[in-house]
Amino acid sequence: MSKLLRAAYRIAWKDVVGDWRRRATLSSMLFFAIAVLVVFQVAFDPDRLEATRLLPGLLWVTILFTSLMGLGRVFQAEEEDGALEGLLLSAVPRGVLFLGKWSGNLLLTLLVELALLPLTLVLFNVDVWGQLPAIVGILLLGTLGLTGLGVLLAAMTQTARSRETLLALLLLPLTAPLLIAGVQALAALLQPGGEVEPWLRLLVIFDLVYLALAPWAFGWLVTE
Amino acid sequence: MIKWFSKWHGVVFVATLLTLLTGLWLVLSAPADYQQGDAVRILYIHVPAAKMSLLSYLFLTVASGMYLWRRQEPWDILAEASVSVGAAFTALTLASGSIWGKPMWGAWWAWDARLTSMLVLLILFMGLMALRNALEDPHKAARATAVLAIIGAVDLPIIHYSVVWWRTLHQPPSFAGPAKQTITGDLLPPLLVMSVAFILLGAWLLMVKSREVAARRAWETLETERLEQSHG
Repeated sequence: MSKLLRAAYRIAWKDVVGDWRRRATLSSMLFFAIAVLVVFQVAFDPDRLEATRLLPGLLWVTILFTSLMGLGRVFQAEEEDGALEGLLLSAVPRGVLFLGKWSGNLLLTLLVELALLPLTLVLFNVDVWGQLPAIVGILLLGTLGLTGLGVLLAAMTQTARSRETLLALLLLPLTAPLLIAGVQALAALLQPGGEVEPWLRLLVIFDLVYLALAPWAFGWLVTE
Repeated sequence: MIKWFSKWHGVVFVATLLTLLTGLWLVLSAPADYQQGDAVRILYIHVPAAKMSLLSYLFLTVASGMYLWRRQEPWDILAEASVSVGAAFTALTLASGSIWGKPMWGAWWAWDARLTSMLVLLILFMGLMALRNALEDPHKAARATAVLAIIGAVDLPIIHYSVVWWRTLHQPPSFAGPAKQTITGDLLPPLLVMSVAFILLGAWLLMVKSREVAARRAWETLETERLEQSHG
């Protein structure tokens, strides 16, 4: 068991460190996220009150679009020199390979979110600093399922023509429950008297379903 | 299977046509609704079409699961065909619902649970088609679309319930059983006949589409062989 976990950890580590050293995905995701924030500001020009109301949707839409950038590159390193075949030939179950790829992407996405969150609050002038830990918790819950489904879809579209468009076409409708629950949970948190708990439950259901299903589905996808 | 389809699709076509004509005659001769007027007749197309789009997805899920389990090509042919059939029924559901919604709700569209789920279903069918077209290797395409179909089957109920919790203004279902019967006796026969007609229509479309898919695949195999021979 610990051997398998170590294998997953090695795969995740190679992705995160490789990315950190090349400053590839991380920096482009972060700057893309900032660009989305600028687009929102210019498009809606919200005042303080509107900004508080818009914040949940704005955060989630930015995260969703930004995660698409990262997901487009999850299997990029594996495409060159038959690296994917190498991974598949190693004595590690397919589900563990998925776990490794997923946790690497999860870590990168979370890093971007941690940078994005204070930036958004500053740029949009929203004073919810007191609830920061709860907001981070909700983002974390949503990101678990988002990256789980996303990495699976990235594996599915990896060799497809115009794969990044296809990835967006597949991911956006399937994440509808996540978006609804994530936005509603944040909105309930920021409103006095809002009920957060039912939406958290929906987020947890989504996470559990995808994290249980995705390793199996990944196994079916890559078998020859 | 395809041979069986080739033999019987004509019979199914005639049965579909007869049932559909009978159904339409019943729909047009049924009394107009005292609240909805003649617009209620749209529902005799809308409701069966909606049932058929869900049934198509159910069929697609079964075919995809069987393909992943057994790896036999006929299951994949059925899966590919049911995606097209399902997309057609879903589009018909959304279009007929919109036409009915304009006079009844005063709007072509409302973001209610069932409408939103149906729209997501349509996008999912489109995504399944796009995925199959975008993958060169037919085996890979078969596997990827089968996995995506199953993911969608798991996701659709979650989508539905999350939108229900989010908001709902749609009418309660009309087929909810004798205790909650919300439709009068006069309107039931045309609805039942139309439902049977749509099931037959779905079966016929599936047969025809499967034949087309099988023929295209056979042609592609021949084409590859021809190219290999001319190079070799």
